[in-house]
Amino acid sequence: MTEHWQRAIAMLPDRLAAHLGVSAAALALAIVVAAPLVLLMVGRPRLRGGVLAVAAVIQTVPALALLALFYPLLLAVGQLTQRLAGFGVPALGLLPSLLALALYALLPLLRGGADGLASVPPETLDAADGMGMTRRQRLLQVELPLAAPIVMGGLRVAAVWTIGAATLATTVGQKSLGDLIFAGLQIEDWALVMTGCLASAALAIITDMALWRAETGLGERRWGKALLGLAMLVALVAGVVGWYTATRPPAAAGRPIVVGAKSFAEQYILAELIADRLRAQGLSVTIRSGLGSAVAFRALAAGDIDVYVDYSGTLWDNALDRQTPAPRAVMLATLRRELPRRHGVRVAASLGFENAYALAMPRAEAERLGIVSLADLAVRAPNLRLATDTEFQSRAEWAALQAGYGLRFRRMTAYTPTLMVRALTGGDADVITAFSSDGRIAADDLQLLTDPRGALPAYDALLLVGPRRPDLAQRLAGLDGRIKVEAMREANWQVDRDRDKRTPGQAAAWLAKRIN
Amino acid sequence: MPAADTRPQSLVAYAGVSVRRGDNRVLANVTLAVPAGAFVALTGASGAGKTTLLRLANRLVAADAGTVRFAGQDVAAVDPVWLRRQIGYAIQGIGLFPHWTVAENIAAVPWLLGWDSARRAARVRTLLDLVELPQGFADRYPRQLSGGQASRVGLARALAAEPRLLLLDEPFGALDPETRASLADRLGVLHRDQQLTVLLVTHDLADALTRAERVVVLDAGRVVADGTPSQLVASAHPAVQALIASPIDQARRLAALVA
Repeated sequence: MTEHWQRAIAMLPDRLAAHLGVSAAALALAIVVAAPLVLLMVGRPRLRGGVLAVAAVIQTVPALALLALFYPLLLAVGQLTQRLAGFGVPALGLLPSLLALALYALLPLLRGGADGLASVPPETLDAADGMGMTRRQRLLQVELPLAAPIVMGGLRVAAVWTIGAATLATTVGQKSLGDLIFAGLQIEDWALVMTGCLASAALAIITDMALWRAETGLGERRWGKALLGLAMLVALVAGVVGWYTATRPPAAAGRPIVVGAKSFAEQYILAELIADRLRAQGLSVTIRSGLGSAVAFRALAAGDIDVYVDYSGTLWDNALDRQTPAPRAVMLATLRRELPRRHGVRVAASLGFENAYALAMPRAEAERLGIVSLADLAVRAPNLRLATDTEFQSRAEWAALQAGYGLRFRRMTAYTPTLMVRALTGGDADVITAFSSDGRIAADDLQLLTDPRGALPAYDALLLVGPRRPDLAQRLAGLDGRIKVEAMREANWQVDRDRDKRTPGQAAAWLAKRIN
Repeated sequence: MPAADTRPQSLVAYAGVSVRRGDNRVLANVTLAVPAGAFVALTGASGAGKTTLLRLANRLVAADAGTVRFAGQDVAAVDPVWLRRQIGYAIQGIGLFPHWTVAENIAAVPWLLGWDSARRAARVRTLLDLVELPQGFADRYPRQLSGGQASRVGLARALAAEPRLLLLDEPFGALDPETRASLADRLGVLHRDQQLTVLLVTHDLADALTRAERVVVLDAGRVVADGTPSQLVASAHPAVQALIASPIDQARRLAALVA
C-alpha cells in the first residue's frame, strides 16, 4: 500500500502548483469582472436584480457541466477566429477552466459586493454627501471601508468554491488536484483520492484562514493581523511553488512528449506502457490523464497531447461523425485513410485487442443452457434478465442487437458498473453488458457471447499519434498487434481488483514483459 | 458675489421654490430669505417639507422650479461639492464615520479642503473645547461614545471648517432632555459669539419658540407662518394653532404645578 501513497505524493507538487495557479487566475479574472459590475449596481436596483439573477442561474449549472460546456463553445469560437483572423483559440486546458471557474466565482463576489455596499447606513452616506465629499471620495473613504467585511466574506466564499471546483478542471485537460481524485476514483486507489481531496481541502482552508485574518485585521484597523493574513497567503504560494521547483524533473530540451489517457484503468496502464517505451528511447515524457472521452481526440488533433489510445468504434462516431457502424475491416481502413486527411492524426498501430461492448454470462450457466453466441441467447432471452450499465439501453449497440438478433429479455435493469456485476453474482440478473477487455471477465469466470452476425461495432484499440510528433508512429510501431486481450484483461484486473492492488505503472511493467 | 448686486444680502434666499417627488408636491412655491447671522427654526408636522427646504440650501435636493441662492449665488450654478464644504451640516442620525477616530471625524471637511495636519489638529482641539468634550476623546472611535457625546462630535464636525451657515436637521432629536438642553445652549452661544447663521429643522414647536429668533411653520409644502416667537404664538392659522396647542397646554399645566 505504501507504493500507492508514494505514487500519490509524487504526483502532488506538480498538481498542487497547477491547481493553485488556475484557482488564483480564475479568482483574479472574476474580481476584475465583478468589481465594475458591483460599482454599476450601486443605486440601480433593477440592474442589481438582473445581474444577480444571471449569476445565480450560472451557479445552478453544475460546475462539471459548466466546464464541459465551454469546450464546444471555445471550439466554435476557435473555428470562427481561425476563419476570420487566422488564429485559433485553445478549447482545452487552461482557457475553458479559467472561464468556467471565473463564472462560478462571480455570484459570491457580486453578492458580497452588492450587499456590502447596501449595508452602509444611509445617514453615514448623507453625512458624507453633506460635508462635500465627491462620489469617488465617498466610495473610497466611506463605502468601501465600511463594506469591506461583507465584500471580503464574499471573496472568501468565492476563493473556497474556486479551489474546490478547480478539481473538475481535470476533465477538460487542465492539470489540477482533480488528476489524483479522478484517477483514484476510476481505479479505486484510495490513496490517490485521499491525497487529492486532502490537498484541495488544505489549500481551501489555509486560503480561507488567511483571508479571514486580512479581513478582520482591516476591519479592526489592526495592521499586524492584516499583514499576517497576507503573509500566510504569500507563504502558501511560496511553499507550493518551492515544493514544485524542488521536485520538478530537470527540464529537457524542448517540450516533453505528452501521452494522453482517458479516465479508466486500461487507459492509465497503456499510457504508462507508451511512456516507458518512449523514455527507453531517451525521450522526455509526461502523462496527461483523466481526459473526457470526447475531449481526448480533440486534444490530440490540437497538439495538446501527442499520443494516446482510442477505440475504432468511438473514433468512427466522434472523429468521423458516422452514425451507422461498418464491418470491422472497413472501419479500420476508413480510419487509417480519413483521420490523417481530416484531423492530421495517424493510426500508428492496432494494438491487437478490442474493448467492445459485449454480453456476458457466468461460464457455468452458459454451458448449462448451451449458449455460446448471441444467436443462441436470442432463443433463451425471453426467460432471462439483463443487467446493463446506465447508458447501454440508449446506445446504438442495443438497437443493433435488437435488429441483428431480435433480442427480447424478460426484464432489463440499469446499474452502475460495480452493482451490475453484483446483480449477476447475487442472482438478480442472468446476463450483463461487459467490455471485452474488462479484467472481471477472467476473474469472475464470465463467458463473452460471440457475435456471428457482426451486429456489434468493433472497438479495436488503436494507437493514435498527433500532428506535432509524427515520428512517434515509427517509435511505437513495435506495439502493433502485440497486446492480446487476455493479457490486457489481466493487467486491468491487477489495477481494478480490491486486494493486492497494483498501480497502473506496475501493471504496465507486467504487460510490457508479456509483449517482449 | 457679483459687484452689481447691491441688495441687502440674504445668506440663504429661496425664491418660488417647488420640489416634486413623483406625483407628490413636497414644496410648493416657497419664498423665504434668511439674513446673515439669523437663527431660524423650520417647523411643521411631519411630511410638511421642512427637511427638504433645509437640504435645498446645500443642494442635497435640487429644486424643480424657482431658485435657491447661497451668499448671492444660485446653488444650481455652482459645484455642489464646493458648496457643501462651505456649509456646516448635522443630522439626527449624526452619521459619524465608524472607522474614523473622533479627531478624524471632526477634521473631515478641513481634510477635504486640504488643510495641513497641524492646522487640522489645532482646529480639533479648539472644537473639542467648544462642544465641551475632553481632549482625550480625540483618539476614540464613535462606537466608544454615548449618544450625547456623539451629537457633540457631530456638531463639532459641522463647525470644523468655520462655515458661515449651519444646517441642522433635528440634531439633538434622540437625546435625553438634559443633554439636549445643554447642547442647545451651546449652539445658542456659538450663534451669538461667532455670528453663525443657523437654519434648524425641528418638529418640536416649543424648542423652536424658545431657541430661535424666528420661526417658519410649514404645512403641506407651503409656508403658513413666519415671524418671531411672540408673533407666532398670536397666529390664528389653524396649522399653527394645531402645532402650538399642545406645548402651550403643557406649559400651563407645568406653571400651575410650580405655582
